[in-house]
Amino acid sequence: MSESAVKTQQQRVNTRKILPPFVTGQEIVLIGVIVVLWVILGLTTPAFLAAGSVGPLLVQVAPIAIIGVGMTFVIITAGIDVSVGSIVMVAAVVTARSLVEFGLPFWPALLLSLLVGAALGALNGVLVAYGRVHAIIITFGTMNLFRFIGLQVFGSSTVNNMPPTFNFFGRGDAGSTLGIPHAFAIAVVITAIAWWYLRYTKGGRSLYAIGGNAHAARLAGIKVQPRILMVYALTGLLAGLAACMTLAAGTSTLDQSVGTGRELQVIAAVVIGGTSIIGGRGSVVGTLLGALLVQTVSSGVVQLGWPSQLAFFFVGLFIVIAVGTDLVRERARRRS
Amino acid sequence: MTTQTTAQRRGPSLGERVGLFAQDRGIQLLILVVILVVVMSILNGAGVTIGRVNSDYFASALISFVPLALLAIAQLFVITSGKGGIDLSVGSMVSLSGMAFGISLVDWGWTVPAAMIFAVIVGTGLGAINGLLSAYLGYPALITTLATYYAYRSIALVVTDQKPVSGSEIQDFYQSVAAVELPLIGGQLPLFPLGLFTFFLPVAVIAWLVLNRTAYGRKLYAIGTNDTAAQWAGVDTRRTRLTAFMVSGLLSGLVGVYTVAQFASARPDAGTAGSGMALPAITIAVLGGVAITGGIGKLGSVALAALLITWLNASILMLVPGNEGAQVQLLALGVVLLGASLLDGWLQNRRKRGAVKPPTLTAAIALGDKPMVDTPAADTTAAAQGIDEPVDSADSESDSR
Repeated sequence: MSESAVKTQQQRVNTRKILPPFVTGQEIVLIGVIVVLWVILGLTTPAFLAAGSVGPLLVQVAPIAIIGVGMTFVIITAGIDVSVGSIVMVAAVVTARSLVEFGLPFWPALLLSLLVGAALGALNGVLVAYGRVHAIIITFGTMNLFRFIGLQVFGSSTVNNMPPTFNFFGRGDAGSTLGIPHAFAIAVVITAIAWWYLRYTKGGRSLYAIGGNAHAARLAGIKVQPRILMVYALTGLLAGLAACMTLAAGTSTLDQSVGTGRELQVIAAVVIGGTSIIGGRGSVVGTLLGALLVQTVSSGVVQLGWPSQLAFFFVGLFIVIAVGTDLVRERARRRS
Repeated sequence: MTTQTTAQRRGPSLGERVGLFAQDRGIQLLILVVILVVVMSILNGAGVTIGRVNSDYFASALISFVPLALLAIAQLFVITSGKGGIDLSVGSMVSLSGMAFGISLVDWGWTVPAAMIFAVIVGTGLGAINGLLSAYLGYPALITTLATYYAYRSIALVVTDQKPVSGSEIQDFYQSVAAVELPLIGGQLPLFPLGLFTFFLPVAVIAWLVLNRTAYGRKLYAIGTNDTAAQWAGVDTRRTRLTAFMVSGLLSGLVGVYTVAQFASARPDAGTAGSGMALPAITIAVLGGVAITGGIGKLGSVALAALLITWLNASILMLVPGNEGAQVQLLALGVVLLGASLLDGWLQNRRKRGAVKPPTLTAAIALGDKPMVDTPAADTTAAAQGIDEPVDSADSESDSR
């Protein structure tokens, strides 16, 4: 009995040695920055901390955070996916048109959006995993391809008179329970599951191994290619979910600019969250915080009455600061 | 005896020579350009096209060739410098330096040359910020230029509160890119856009000389091929990389000036509207055979790739009307990029498997196979072949740091 106790003890010690701390320095810094920003905004614009302002903010964070989970997986494997904006567009327009023309109810429409997203993501995955070409090139290509498909589905106009099927994800009263927006709650749940998966499962750890050194991972018996395929398909699936939230967030009209630039927002959130673009290191909790920061900055600039385009400047600045602090810490880590 | 040696060395027979010739990216692109022009001429003859597709049409389409080609050359410098070099911020630099040009010309009343120099200096300075962050502070280029893409774009939009700058000075300047008749022989030839001669040709010639006939060019290819080896050979890798980013900024500055002339106004979103200018530029660079892992890339092939995309886009507009045409252009860009890179990856892999692999380092380098180490798939194929590739594994290790 004592032997097994010792064994579990040892296992625990080993686990502690291998796994990084629950919350990394980057995440603490991010929480600090977000709190400071919220306090400043709260003091200067009294409307900010009122529930009427924070709720919509959280709703807008959700799609970035949800796609960000997939993107974090992708970047941990040393890949990247710049086509997510176009995937959101295709999933959104296909779903929107089926809502308008066939009056699809909530669940089938959600399922349709997820399927479209996952299919496009799987195409990325197949090409990246088996194509012997760098992920950024592949996804630049599919980005154009998907945008073409999306525009074809649009025809030459907007999709009008969308029914409020997805109000469950929206900013209205139907979109939140006890003041917590459903979309944000879903983002938190997905982040939590992904966090657990990355930290405690064999599959999750193997993603880090692939990102650290794909060759070594292969020699260690990890099936690299199927895992990579899965990661891109997952990102597509999550983009499909985010598309439904995008449909809910807007008005009853969907225009052709949907999803444009989404990929950069998501990548910004991921790198601000401390995930290394070279692969092998990263956390989904950081990504959620990064998404929160990006959206806080965007909303804050508007609330302060500054030109809304100034938000881009601050997003850029935060990327530089976040990655900079990470580089400094990395250097310190290597020295010790 | 001699025949045996030849056989051992696998000296190229005629067939193999043709094969090697056909594997050259420049030749492939040239063939594609010729095929495109021939097909379009036939379609024109058959009356399928919307307007008349003739040499005049192809010549006038070159007005959009200039910015594409210049920015693709910018990517050639940055991507070739290796270590994940890429410049996502070119579109924003185009916008911002274009605004600098417009404002100094119209609002401050500067002369055209002064405003042009100012715009190019602004562009180079913006490129220098990218370079300092990437080369000296250790930021991955993708992150640096993503951040500065946002920052520069924001400044360009905010500086005039999103209003374009225009005035009579800019209207006059429009002449410098408009179509002209060439002197002497011009009567026989179609009208070429002047921008081709005022912007593209000087840049292409100078860039070619810098890449192929200067120590800097050799250093650039050296750091892109193997950063550590170049460092040991006494190359100041950081400075070389910084310069590559500055070249990218400089060229973006020139394109900024060009777009002002092209649109006859300085638009704050000139380089970032739609999906921006960076993506087509990177696509063209890759299509032109620039290896995303660095160290490989030829200016001639990149220019040909820009030509192919320009004329392909122009042809599509003649086959598919209106809005639909713009959409098909997206499809074409995506398919061409995917097709070219996948074919390339497949061919490289096949060549690697087929070749009798000499175990020495020099021989492996002589094969000219720069493995795409960042691709997990490439790594695993290397693993499948056995771990007898010293170059590959050393490379992948240094890259994954």
